[in-house]
Amino acid sequence: MAGALRAIRTAGPARPFHCRGLGGAAGPPSTRQLREAEEAAPVFQYTGKAARRKDRVFVWGFSYSGALGVPSFVKPDAGWKKPRRIQPTPYRLETEEKISSAACGYGFTLLASNTTDITKVWGTGLNKDSQLGFQRSRRDQTKGYEYVLEPSPIPLPLEKPQQTRVLQVSCGRAHSLILTDSEGVFTMGNNSYGQCGRKVIEDEIYSESYLIHQLKEFDSRVVQVACGQDHSLFRTKKGSVYACGWGADGQTGLGHYNITSVPTKLRGDIAGVNIIQVSSYGDCCLAVSDEGDVFGWGNSEYLQLASVTETTQVNVPRHLPFKIGKIKEAACGGTGNAVLTEEGNIFVWGYGILGKGPNLIETAVPEMIPPSLFGWSDFNSDICVAHIRCGLGQFAALTNRGELFVWGKNLRGCLGTGRMEDQYFPWRVTVPGEVVDVACGVDHMPGSSAPPCRESCGNGAVQPRC
Amino acid sequence: MAGPAGLFAVYKPAGVAWCRVREAVETRLLRELNAAPRRAPRQQIRFLPTPAPAPSGGGALELVPTRVPVLADHPLVQGPRFRRLKIGAGHRLDVKASGVFVLGIGHGNKLLTDLYNCHLTKVYTVGGLFGKATDDFSDTGKLIEKTTFDHITREKLERILAVIQGTNHKALLMYSNIDMKTQEAYELAVKGLIRPMDKSPPIITAIRCLQFALPEFQLEIHCLHETQQYLRKVVHEIGLELKSSAVCTQVRRTRDGVFTLDDALPRTQWDLRSIQDAIRNCRLKVETEIEKTLGHRDNSPVHQLDVQTAHGADS
Repeated sequence: MAGALRAIRTAGPARPFHCRGLGGAAGPPSTRQLREAEEAAPVFQYTGKAARRKDRVFVWGFSYSGALGVPSFVKPDAGWKKPRRIQPTPYRLETEEKISSAACGYGFTLLASNTTDITKVWGTGLNKDSQLGFQRSRRDQTKGYEYVLEPSPIPLPLEKPQQTRVLQVSCGRAHSLILTDSEGVFTMGNNSYGQCGRKVIEDEIYSESYLIHQLKEFDSRVVQVACGQDHSLFRTKKGSVYACGWGADGQTGLGHYNITSVPTKLRGDIAGVNIIQVSSYGDCCLAVSDEGDVFGWGNSEYLQLASVTETTQVNVPRHLPFKIGKIKEAACGGTGNAVLTEEGNIFVWGYGILGKGPNLIETAVPEMIPPSLFGWSDFNSDICVAHIRCGLGQFAALTNRGELFVWGKNLRGCLGTGRMEDQYFPWRVTVPGEVVDVACGVDHMPGSSAPPCRESCGNGAVQPRC
Repeated sequence: MAGPAGLFAVYKPAGVAWCRVREAVETRLLRELNAAPRRAPRQQIRFLPTPAPAPSGGGALELVPTRVPVLADHPLVQGPRFRRLKIGAGHRLDVKASGVFVLGIGHGNKLLTDLYNCHLTKVYTVGGLFGKATDDFSDTGKLIEKTTFDHITREKLERILAVIQGTNHKALLMYSNIDMKTQEAYELAVKGLIRPMDKSPPIITAIRCLQFALPEFQLEIHCLHETQQYLRKVVHEIGLELKSSAVCTQVRRTRDGVFTLDDALPRTQWDLRSIQDAIRNCRLKVETEIEKTLGHRDNSPVHQLDVQTAHGADS
């Protein structure tokens, strides 16, 4: 940005205006003189040749776990400065590489770039279960850090580190999943319920662990990973879904309520269906098929699946027969769910602050959020929502104009509105630039954005766990 | 016979101050009102001395009752019927701007305050020119700098307009002083009726590009609590955001609350007849708007609670 305002003088006729010498009388310049002065004035150029737009990352929310990646919030660099517990508005995070994917876990954040350099993933925040890998402490070479305050590289045991690219990262309560394009999925962190996809070892100590497990046995290449609180979901290219981890609420969808330590394919209503997106954050899961149908399984204590069953736990994927149009994207929160239809409308259901005012606390049937809250009007009738994301108690929506709207419980400033109160209907977050992607956590959020004519900003929000 | 009373709109041409327009309308109306035929003067019976007819008296004066008009009602004694008219002006326009200008006559001036308290949006058509920057942001000012503008495309302009609209929408909600946690706030936000009902800085509620032909462009701006110079400053800032510079060539108000360009009278129609027709046509619109906005406030639960406590205190 510093070099952008370089003014270049383009040549004009080099004749000074108002040049009358000593002979002429003084007076206001005539119209002809003004016109000549104007034509003789030099023309400045403020644009460079190729002003490309760079992406940037912004973070906001609770900072004491280090999840925001700004060390000066937790340990100020001058003695008189006070530590900043909450960052209420988006704050720019400096990163060395362009970040293509970000995810928030419970108190930690992962940032990934799809470069072919050796360092592809950075992690910051809570590391008590090695969810950020082993971060060697500088003071004592044998120990690792429990809290990482700055985005630090996570070394991955890749076979071809200079060819493989990281496509996506996902974080759960205390485990992380990293998806690569040719070497499968890498998992690290807590495995007490098998959520990392390997056998559960009794009394295993997860902190300061070097163990990163690699998962390759799926029916085809994995194209999306999603983490619930203590379980993991994998979506393959053929459209099937695999799950492993804790299943007491049926969130693994395998027909039982036990833990699963090996990724197993889901059946039920999604057997044979080509799934194009899965989502999970708490203990409920949603999947969207290519024909626009939505399937759900897992916890239903908050009426998330009450449209098909009265039971509070569903352990087999069930089709949710909603008549709201073809569904493009789904997002699962802790107690509320949201889907995005082809027309660009958002439907919410579940429990909590759903976005339709303080009177709507719970509903089993999806209700549409009026598009006028996202800036739609007769004036701008082509505004619609492009992406929907869910955190534990909050929702985030991205419009096609690059604007970010948030609503939900404002836990420790995680909404980024600048206020500490809960937000009962969609509210615009001022991020410099056009927002490209956002990730919601428990109490922090990272977002990526692109600036209007210059660089874009990225998002970053890290959620610390309460 | 009282003069006309009510609200109407005229079209103020550019290059003339708003008070001149108001005075011109007042002069024209006075001229027409005073040219109207006056009431016939009162008649009275006076006993006027007349010389007696020749046969009797012969030179003596006699009082004869005659009907004569009262001299006090003579037009030369009374003077013109109307000397001044109470004409008030609504939202003003500066010298370089043109467009719809609301005026009120007589009792209509009270409605002017009500209309101001409704805080309705105004619509302007703003014309701009890329490549120049002047000291007063318009094309008649002193030239400060010239810049290139070939890199500007309609898409870049629309992106800037979207950013402006987003920040102003947030300001709209923040200055409206409504508690965001209530169901009422949610319903007003859905209908798009949240707006500041008190003093606030200028807020643009909607902005879009009507025409784009380098170096000229034209914008339509819906705004609240603005001044025309603020709109010129917005054009200048759009130029700066696009790494160039811009001046404003034209500011034209096309709607002021409920009065549109169709209701505005051009200069050839600033006469009594057209003004009376205009007042009659606009009366219903104005009344419904004031009823809707201020009547809603009067019937709000807080107001009714006040009324109830007042009744309770009285009894």
